[in-house]
Amino acid sequence: MAALLEVEGIELAYGEVAACREIAFAVAEGEIVTLIGANGAGKTTTLRGVAGAMLPRKGRIAFMGQDITRLPPHERTLAGIALVPEGRRVFPFLTVRENLEMGGYKFRRDAAKVRGLIERMMDMFPRLRERHDQRAGTLSGGEQQMLALSRALMSEPKLLCLDEPSLGLAPLVVQEIFKSIRAINAAGTSVLLVEQNAQYALATAARGYVMQTGAIVASGACADLRLDERIKEAYLGRK
Amino acid sequence: MPDLLSLVVQQTINGVYLGCLYVMVALGLTLIYGVMNQINFAHADFVTVGAFVALFTMTRLATKMLGMPEVAGYLLSIVFALGAGALLGLAVNAAVFAPLRDRGDELRPLIATIGVSVLLENGQLALFGPIPYQFDSPLAKETLRFGKIFFSLQNVLVVAVSAAAVAALYAFLKFTFLGKALRAVSQDRETSGLMGINQSFLIGLTIVIASALAGMGGALLGPGLVLDPFAGATVIVKAFAIVIIGGFGNLAGTILAGILVGIIEAFTIQYLGAGLIDLVVFVLLLTMLVVKPTGLIAERREENV
Repeated sequence: MAALLEVEGIELAYGEVAACREIAFAVAEGEIVTLIGANGAGKTTTLRGVAGAMLPRKGRIAFMGQDITRLPPHERTLAGIALVPEGRRVFPFLTVRENLEMGGYKFRRDAAKVRGLIERMMDMFPRLRERHDQRAGTLSGGEQQMLALSRALMSEPKLLCLDEPSLGLAPLVVQEIFKSIRAINAAGTSVLLVEQNAQYALATAARGYVMQTGAIVASGACADLRLDERIKEAYLGRK
Repeated sequence: MPDLLSLVVQQTINGVYLGCLYVMVALGLTLIYGVMNQINFAHADFVTVGAFVALFTMTRLATKMLGMPEVAGYLLSIVFALGAGALLGLAVNAAVFAPLRDRGDELRPLIATIGVSVLLENGQLALFGPIPYQFDSPLAKETLRFGKIFFSLQNVLVVAVSAAAVAALYAFLKFTFLGKALRAVSQDRETSGLMGINQSFLIGLTIVIASALAGMGGALLGPGLVLDPFAGATVIVKAFAIVIIGGFGNLAGTILAGILVGIIEAFTIQYLGAGLIDLVVFVLLLTMLVVKPTGLIAERREENV
């Protein structure tokens, strides 16, 4: 499998304080890869580094063979990386439809394409069609997550990065979201999933990396990680 | 019509006219604040530049060189002032604001706006001198009279142009892709970047729109000003008050507050005398800050831009 995303020894810092050190991992084309770990382990920071919301002070990030280490976020979107940020971050005063349009910003000169993509998103999540004219801030948490996910897909990414998609959602809604993630992946989009709910994450992804206090401490096939005693104890809440 | 009623109608008309002038100046301030959370202290000078460009367009270019009638010359000068404001905004953004912003600093761009203000004021002082210019609108002489109520064509023009500008801005923000992206940037700058929205471009666009409005405001205001290189400062204090009363960054609030302040000013002139205008406006401002610091309609948790 060709590597779609290659992260080589990046260090990410807030001000002077390094939040992640020597992070190295890869996502192959068509793969779902997960980063799991406790709160504060640096998962979100790593994901922000991939999406360009933070620039690393060391290391290298390559996407489809191109060095994207210094690219600002909007150019990474053009390159094919999309992020569903933690806490969803929909634009609260834009309508559902307008939020989706913003996700398709890179196709703004092709109105027909944007309309077509919006139709596809609304086919995937009919709730969004029902609420297309409503301000995103008035949606429920689950609906906002559907919107954030669809909004990211509007740029037709090759790599979809998801930051805690299950956060604060009811179990039924979480199941629906994860079903969509698998469907999106089956349709050819690679997924990089950051999740505190390790059980869901390891069941969804093919490979996983375990993060602890800003570093990757274990990695492997999810089937193996699920059997690893230390991981069971630390993240799956069972012995 | 009874006297009192016609008086009230007359002063309301005067107030709406004044309010429209203020709105043209205040809109740019609030727009820049709404999108980039920054106060532009050079905004007043963009108004002054607009007024001077309009004056010279009308008196030198249009009527003398092109032989246009005065009224046409004044209308052309409004367009030129709009363009001059836009170009000035573009230049200042490219030369000063954008490079400072790219270095990720919040304070330096703010201080730079003060620097740009000093530069523009002294540049104009060197060019035009300290003696105020006479800027007469040919439309001010044309008055319409309905019973005891009268107003000039200048009043009509100002209200019409302001309404058109507000409508255009609204349509831009509501219906165009770029306008929606501008609102997205103002609501969540980081996330808008993740959507592939180029924020530097949109912030530049915001400054150009705000400056164009200021320039046009200068052409409309010019005839009412003592036009010297510091003329904009007299309006900007009131514009800041309006922006605060309307809720910083809130467009609808700013428009409402602008008209309201205009009307209050007109009635103050009528009943208390012109000398008390600033007193009344700033008592209103202070009251707002104490009673409702979020602005007139912020409580509905309205969208800013």
